[in-house]
Amino acid sequence: MLIELRNIHKTYDNGQPLHVLKGIDLGIGEGEFVSIMGASGSGKSTLLNILGILDNYDEGEYWLDGKLIKSLSETEAAHYRNRMIGFVFQSFNLINFKTAVENVELPLYYQGVGRKKRNELAMTYLERFGLTDWATHYPNELSGGQKQRVAIARALITHPHILLADEPTGALDSKTSVEVMNLLTELNRTEKVTIIVVTHESGVANCTDKIIHIKDGIIGETTLNEQHQSSIFGTETIMK
Amino acid sequence: MKDLLTEIWESIRRNKLRTALTGFAVAWGIFMLIVLLGAGNGLMNAFMNQGDRFATNTMAVFGGVTSKPANGYQTGRRIELNDQDIVLTQSALFSEHVEKVSPELFKGPYTLAFNGRHISAYLNGCSPTLQEMNKIEMLEGRFINQNDIRLKRKAIVLAASHAIELMNGGEDYVSLIGKTVTAGGITWMVVGVYKTDRTAQRVEDFVPFTTMQVLMNEINRVDQINFSFHGLTTEEENDQFEKTYRTALNRAHKAAPDDESSIWIWNRFTQNMQMNKGTHYIRTALWILGIFTLVGGIVGVSNIMLITVKERTREFGIRKAIGASPWEIMKLILAESVSITAFFGYIGMFLGMVACEVMKATVGQSSVEFFGETFHVFVNPTVSLSISFGVTILLVVAGTLAGISPAMKAARIRPIEALNDN
Repeated sequence: MLIELRNIHKTYDNGQPLHVLKGIDLGIGEGEFVSIMGASGSGKSTLLNILGILDNYDEGEYWLDGKLIKSLSETEAAHYRNRMIGFVFQSFNLINFKTAVENVELPLYYQGVGRKKRNELAMTYLERFGLTDWATHYPNELSGGQKQRVAIARALITHPHILLADEPTGALDSKTSVEVMNLLTELNRTEKVTIIVVTHESGVANCTDKIIHIKDGIIGETTLNEQHQSSIFGTETIMK
Repeated sequence: MKDLLTEIWESIRRNKLRTALTGFAVAWGIFMLIVLLGAGNGLMNAFMNQGDRFATNTMAVFGGVTSKPANGYQTGRRIELNDQDIVLTQSALFSEHVEKVSPELFKGPYTLAFNGRHISAYLNGCSPTLQEMNKIEMLEGRFINQNDIRLKRKAIVLAASHAIELMNGGEDYVSLIGKTVTAGGITWMVVGVYKTDRTAQRVEDFVPFTTMQVLMNEINRVDQINFSFHGLTTEEENDQFEKTYRTALNRAHKAAPDDESSIWIWNRFTQNMQMNKGTHYIRTALWILGIFTLVGGIVGVSNIMLITVKERTREFGIRKAIGASPWEIMKLILAESVSITAFFGYIGMFLGMVACEVMKATVGQSSVEFFGETFHVFVNPTVSLSISFGVTILLVVAGTLAGISPAMKAARIRPIEALNDN
């Protein structure tokens, strides 16, 4: 298993304790295309933050590619995020004073890759996603779909072990949403990228091969979805 | 490195006005520091010029009035130095420290006459070593030499101002050399002309000490003994030496050994040391004043950086999420802070130096007449290169200090909070 979670607990303490994750056990293998579904407040975002080493957990064990991810220093966490994880966010989170290509090469900068090599690599990724002409554009000159494709390029440039997508279509219209989900599916099929999508949209979840339902901090049912028939809305398009 | 500079430039470019206003505060701080130090240097240089008249490793000794009864004498007895004191000073007793001894004998005023022109002048009977000790600068001819002393020659070294007056205001005093002048009823041969020090208390003409004693009927009288010394580096050593020396002279003159007013010792070395201490205090005070002004600028930079961090919270969150370590984030803020401080600091330093040059060209050239003497208020009011280097280091340190708290704040940003902050 690429990812193994064993009995993960997480409690937030803002004034009064809030037990968000109540013993999560989860295994995700290499090359899987998984979605985590749940209503708001179900703990799915917290789970994603823990998976992305953006947050700590109180109890349990998180193994990522054979490494125990626990009580890391900020610097170590940054290192693992940089090398092992690619993020795609709902609101794209591109740095808006940097051009598309500069955004894409940023993770490589933190790996200490030279300027020229960085630029070449970033350009190949942009080319693959059909964004060559927009390489020197700033995020505010790009459409939502273009922005998300830039973000995906940025997430993939370091060859991460997992790609974490947090509501990747949340800010996109249905047409673009389909494009983005198709892109993710294609990445999973052709390059065997392990992708975990967090969403509350059943249409989005329907694009993935496995749907993990999370409710009130525990994992509910896990649906295998090889046929992509789990949602009545998911057969044709993504319902908005 | 280039990437870091690009990042800083991007950040500054987005906040031009804000950066410029902060920069102004820093530039003003450094400007004030440089101008204060320059003005202080100008004052001190003027001050030091007065003290520069003598070689610093010399002492001057002259007789005073006793303040204690001793050996059957009452207080209030006038002590006059004599030839034995010269011998005593040169003796093995003090040879460890004393180098050259030079006696002086003052007489006057006499009428100094040449070719029908008369002026009033003081004569100073001295020895050749006085030239070195009092830094007498010859314009023409020579100073009193050993042969003058030995042969008791009637040689005279004129002050330039006297020479000019004797030549009826003419500048061709060179022609006076080899001619004879009269003073005190004696005919003297002019052997040299020295540069007159405008700050000197009175203008003297120099004649051989021995000639003076004999011709002016002052056998065995000495008004002042000057000597150069070595090996006395601290104030304590100097005090100890002065005490021993005073005791010896007091004994020779039958005064109480510990009488402090019978013999006056003017130690130019310790005096110089005290003056240096004084200028050190002034300089320190100026630095403190200047630095306080600079602190205002630094607080400004720190403030601006805090706002920057606040504004860029989301961006730093993104950077951290994709793998920037806390140190990488700190580096961004620190480098920006140091860059702003250093850049505007240098502008301030440059303007400060220009202001110093302007001061030098204006106030630095003016002088004040005081009791017929000319005093410069400001001499060379500029700062040295070493101070400029000091200021450079100061700027880097200041920039770092200004950036450190905002940078730590930035480094502590948690990516999830920053990213949720839509």
